[in-house]
Amino acid sequence: MILNLALIAMILALLIPIYTVCKDQDIWQRMLAFASVASKAAILILVISVLRDDWMIGVVGVIILSVGNAGLMLLAHIIKRMNDLAST
Amino acid sequence: MINLLSYFCIATGIVFWFWGTADLLSKRSVLFKLHSLSVADTLGSIAIVVGLLLKIPREWPLLLLAIICLALWNTMLGYVLAYCSSASNGGSRD
Amino acid sequence: MCWPIVLVLVTEVAVTDSYVYVLTALLPLTASILVTQANPYHALVLRGILGAVAALVYTVLGAADVALTEALVGTMLAITLYAVAVRSSLVMRLGVLKEAIPDWRAASKSDDALVALQQADQANAEQPSFAPLLSDLRTVCGKHHLRLELVSYPDSQALQQALVDKEIHAALRVEHKDRYFSESGFEPNSERINLHSESFCSLCIRIRRLYDILQAELTSPAASLTYVDLATSPEVGPVLASVGEQQP
Repeated sequence: MILNLALIAMILALLIPIYTVCKDQDIWQRMLAFASVASKAAILILVISVLRDDWMIGVVGVIILSVGNAGLMLLAHIIKRMNDLAST
Repeated sequence: MINLLSYFCIATGIVFWFWGTADLLSKRSVLFKLHSLSVADTLGSIAIVVGLLLKIPREWPLLLLAIICLALWNTMLGYVLAYCSSASNGGSRD
Repeated sequence: MCWPIVLVLVTEVAVTDSYVYVLTALLPLTASILVTQANPYHALVLRGILGAVAALVYTVLGAADVALTEALVGTMLAITLYAVAVRSSLVMRLGVLKEAIPDWRAASKSDDALVALQQADQANAEQPSFAPLLSDLRTVCGKHHLRLELVSYPDSQALQQALVDKEIHAALRVEHKDRYFSESGFEPNSERINLHSESFCSLCIRIRRLYDILQAELTSPAASLTYVDLATSPEVGPVLASVGEQQP
C-alpha cells in the first residue's frame, strides 16, 4: 500500500521531465530530460520488481539501467556533438 | 523497525527526485540544471534502492548491482553531458 | 456501518492498480509528443524517451523479454541508425572552386571559415564575396534542418562534371557579367544581381525543391540562382558549358 503510493509519487516525478520536453525547445534541455526519464524509468522498474517480488523484472531493470540508459546516452551525445561541429 | 527505515529511505529518495527535477522547470543554464539533476537522480535513486534493499534483502546482488551501475554511469553521463553541451555552445557562439 | 470498509476496499483497489493505468497512459502521451516534432534531432531524443517509457510499460504489464528488446534494440540500435541516416541524408552538398576559398581546411569546418573568407575578400576586392552568401545559405539550410557541406574542386570542368554526376546538389561559382551574358545568352533574374558590379555569384542547383526553397528564402542580393534539370538537358545546358570553357 505504502509502496504503491510511493510508486505513484515516482510517476509524478517522471511526468516533470516529460513536461519539460514538451515545453523546452533547446536540444540540450531535452537531452537532460531524456537522461532523467531513462534513469527514473529504470528505478521504477526496480521498485515494481520488488513490489511484485519478481526477480526477472528486476534483472531487466538493472540491464536497462546499465546498458540501455547510460550507453545509449553516451552514444547519442557523441553523435550530437559531431552534428554540432559539422553544422556550425 | 527496519521496515520503517526502508520507508524513510524511499521517501528521502522521492523528495530528492522532486527537488532535483523541479530545477528542470526553471530558466537556468544547462550546466546548473545538469548539476542539480545528476545529484538528485543519483542520490535519490541510490536512496530508493537502499530502501528496497532493506525491505527485501533476499535480492541483494541485483540491488547492489543497481547501486553500482547508478553511481558509475550517472557520474560518467554527467561528465559527458557537461562536456558536450559546453563544447557545442562555445563553438556556436564564437 | 460497512461504508468505511467499502471505502477502504475501493481506495485500496484503486491505488493498487492505478499506477498501471497511469504508466500505460504515458505511452500515448510521449508518442503524441514525438510525432509533433519537426526537427529530426529533437525527434530522435524523444524517440529515446519513448523507448524508456515503452520498456517501463512492457515491464509493468509483465513482458520482461519485450522490455529488454525494446531497451536494447528499439532504443539503442534504432537511435544510432537513425542518427547516422539523418546525418548523412539531410545535407546540401555545395561544390565550389578551390581558389575561391583560400583556407580550405578552415572553410569546411566552422564559422572561422567566414572570417577567413571575409579577409580573403578584402584582399582581392574585385571578386564578389562568398561570405555573406554562404552565411545566408547556412541560415536557410538551418531553418530546414539541412547541413551545408562544402566540396572543393580544382577547376571549373571538375565542378561541372560533379554536378552532372550528381556528386553535389549545387555548384557555386563566380561569373563575370559581360562574358556571361554575351556567351550564354542566359538572362538571370535581375533583381538579385547588383548591376553595378562586374561579377556575381552564380548558384546552379539540380534539385527542384532545393531551388524553390532557396529562391523563396535566400535574401543575399549578390547571387543568381539557376535550376538545372539534368533529366531534360544532360549536358547541363549552355550555361555551365560555356562558363566551363572560358575559365581555364
